[in-house]
Amino acid sequence: MSEIRTFPDFLKRSSIVLGVSVLFIIIIFGALIYTIPAVSNFKDVLLELIGINSLFFKIAVFPGYTWAALIATEIIWFERKFIAKMQLRVGPLYAGMVGGILQPIADVIKLVFKEMISPSKSDKLIFYSVPLLSSAIGASLLAVLPVSDGWLIMRSDVSMLIVFAVIGFVPISVLLAGWASNSKFPFIGALRGLHQMIAFEISMLIAALSVVILSGSLDLVNIVQAQSRIWFIVLMPIGAIVFFITLLAELERIPFDLPHAESEIVMGHQTEYSSMAFGSIQLGTYIRFYALSGIFTTLFLGGWYGPQFLPAGFEIINQIEWFTLKTLLVMVFIIILRGVNPRFRLDLLLKFGWSRLLILAFLNLFIAIFILQMGWFPFTGGI
Amino acid sequence: MSELTVTVGPQHPGSGHFALIVKLDGDKIVEVIPDPGYVHRGDEKVSENKNYIQNIPHFERPAILDASNMLFPYVHAVEDLMKLEVPVRGQYIRVIMAELNRIISHLYYFAIYGIFVGHSTMFMWPVADREHFIDLAQMISGQRVGFAFLLPGGVRNDIPEAVKERANEACNYFEKRLIEYERIFMNNPIFEKRAKGMGILSKEDAIKLGVVGPTLRASGIKSDIRKDEPYAVYDKLDFEIPVSKDGDSWARAWIHIEEMRQSMSIIKQALKDIPSGPVKLNLRGQVRPPPGETFTRAESSRGAVSFYLISNGGMTPYRLRMITPSFRNLRAISHITKGLLLADLPPAFWSLDYWPVEADR
Amino acid sequence: MSETPKIKHEPPKREKKIADNITVKLRKDILEIEIKPKRIKVKVKPESIKKAANFFKNKLNIDHVASVSGIDYPNDNEIEIVYHTGTYKHKDLSDLVIALAFRISRETPKTPSLTEIWPSTEFDERETYEMLGVIFEGHPKLEKLFLPEDWDDIPPLRKDFKNPRR
Repeated sequence: MSEIRTFPDFLKRSSIVLGVSVLFIIIIFGALIYTIPAVSNFKDVLLELIGINSLFFKIAVFPGYTWAALIATEIIWFERKFIAKMQLRVGPLYAGMVGGILQPIADVIKLVFKEMISPSKSDKLIFYSVPLLSSAIGASLLAVLPVSDGWLIMRSDVSMLIVFAVIGFVPISVLLAGWASNSKFPFIGALRGLHQMIAFEISMLIAALSVVILSGSLDLVNIVQAQSRIWFIVLMPIGAIVFFITLLAELERIPFDLPHAESEIVMGHQTEYSSMAFGSIQLGTYIRFYALSGIFTTLFLGGWYGPQFLPAGFEIINQIEWFTLKTLLVMVFIIILRGVNPRFRLDLLLKFGWSRLLILAFLNLFIAIFILQMGWFPFTGGI
Repeated sequence: MSELTVTVGPQHPGSGHFALIVKLDGDKIVEVIPDPGYVHRGDEKVSENKNYIQNIPHFERPAILDASNMLFPYVHAVEDLMKLEVPVRGQYIRVIMAELNRIISHLYYFAIYGIFVGHSTMFMWPVADREHFIDLAQMISGQRVGFAFLLPGGVRNDIPEAVKERANEACNYFEKRLIEYERIFMNNPIFEKRAKGMGILSKEDAIKLGVVGPTLRASGIKSDIRKDEPYAVYDKLDFEIPVSKDGDSWARAWIHIEEMRQSMSIIKQALKDIPSGPVKLNLRGQVRPPPGETFTRAESSRGAVSFYLISNGGMTPYRLRMITPSFRNLRAISHITKGLLLADLPPAFWSLDYWPVEADR
Repeated sequence: MSETPKIKHEPPKREKKIADNITVKLRKDILEIEIKPKRIKVKVKPESIKKAANFFKNKLNIDHVASVSGIDYPNDNEIEIVYHTGTYKHKDLSDLVIALAFRISRETPKTPSLTEIWPSTEFDERETYEMLGVIFEGHPKLEKLFLPEDWDDIPPLRKDFKNPRR
């Protein structure tokens, strides 16, 4: 295997492998479902229970947990490779056929075999509940994410509220992790995380509120359907920028990774976690990354809308494709930001979040109300 | 919150091999007491048991990153007492090695600065670009890090022919890279917010505390031993001394970038003007200065380094004192960190270019 | 009274002028002055070190001290302390280093500290204290700097200190 030296080379190889593997999975799964030799009754019952249209399939496989976990894992790989290329390095290289693509899986296997340690005076119940909480938050966000028109796990009239309620849980998990570790550095990291998230959540809410006003409904599917002609990022660019920045803060990504600033407080609130507890927290973080980027796509980038490039009859897959493509683009942009920026300091961060960002969010709200009153934007339903 | 004493100790991802005892009030620093001495190896006492040639690798170890600059005053001290006249080609080669060392050391400064501010790309780029200059140094002296290249009376060996072309290649490549460094790091709005106006050292304080090097030049005092008291062939070369009036951390980092530009210009000039001839005097291994004493100084990457040599005519020095720039900048750490937040402590003291091994000797 | 040592060339003009200035002002306190190009060494009596330092700071505009060195002379039973000073303010004197030296007794080495006059000598004097056992009176914090707190041997830079491992 020759070493990958240039970026176009790497793109070529990775796209070939990814395309082939996805195709392979689809073919095998389809074949399995339709060729189980049995009484047709049994086949029908089975199909109903775990077939492609059942709830189990949606939750567990696609677009549910397995799909999100796969994306999370490969985003970890992609991030490491991409940042490495930006930094004149090579990144993962040996695990797997193409450029270390199986590296995150190797990391997971390594983590499974490590010893799970916790500090002696820590509160074990809370300490070990945080990884579960983290994964649960990620999974709940996935439940309302509209991957396509009709193909989603749960459709509800108030899915926007659900999203924000779940996001509001994240600072609690940070605080629990820091407190239950019973040690100085995680505690400092947890407090910093709380400060940061509380400062940015309000601006996030207000930016999302302007989208709700324009589209006239709290249902995420309706919000996407309201963007069938024009995306909201064109109507409210300020709101998109505000939401994007608060997204970075909620995910604790550079430049807002103050809660786990390595050079000062080792790893912040996740310092004392090891083995699969740590693995679960990381998985939960990256699933949250995917879910929140998906929400950004839903709110501002037009959800699943895109030109139909597959033949008719495959509309759903077309929509899924476009949604996934847009979400992945958002994630790549966030990764680029990581490579270029240093870290914010706490007082600058709070000043920024409470003054400038809030003002911009309110400005955006007024713009949205203005557009609505002027009747420039048609909407479905009313507020 | 009442006062909290934290030891940003030797075992900390945000400190070097020394400890800082920090008194905090919440997140604000009230006082910083530096606690050096963790890497003290008694260099001055040990040097009294080694003869003058054995002392050469010994005295480049404290600041291994810019080894050649540290050796300059030592060989000058020995040559001063022995009244030796170094051949001109040897002096040019010394200057080339010294400027290469300066670039290598400054790039390491930026790498660690990047880490302390949380900018991992700024850690990777300088470390990768250093390789070009370390390769050059290896071509000249055979070693990547601890060269032991300067001798009393000249340098150890001549430079190969390919060095000139390779050096021009490296300098051209790096001049383009410096522009990218400025874009991604120096002009990055987040870094500017963190570093401008942080850790200010005023002009009077800089003189009073006796700081040296880029720290001194960032506070508005134009003092560089290569210009004040030219040694080797620096008086024949054309270069400038960057000075800034702000005195904050951003100004100190800026001076490092400008100095790297000047170093590259010096290397190119030296390689063009270098005359032919011998590179060292043939002392037949007899390096034994007559009784006397002398005080010599040179400009290393971190500041002015000085040697005070007292010889009594024996094979080993009677007293050899080495005054390193980091030791002289030590007092500035407690001064500039008053009132900062704890998160700014590692970037602040690192911007002074404090190297603990050099300070402890 | 000043004695220029026997040197072959005429002493450089600028250094000679400064040396004469010092001799005239600090007549009785000076023991000896050595002049070399860009280096002047002034040996004073140990009692008058503070007066000489004040004179250096106020009249000669010496604004910083490069180092404080201690040298052990067990044969003379004395310790010599040298302050190397310089000035930043005057550009034409920036290559000049004036050394202020004096000798004190080896049994009871005591000398006033110069940290009020030149604050940059604080750490240097601490180092000389722990390495040679010289006590600087009036120093704000005379403690060990580099050596460990439980050092129980004689100060290491003295000539009779033998490395126990050798």
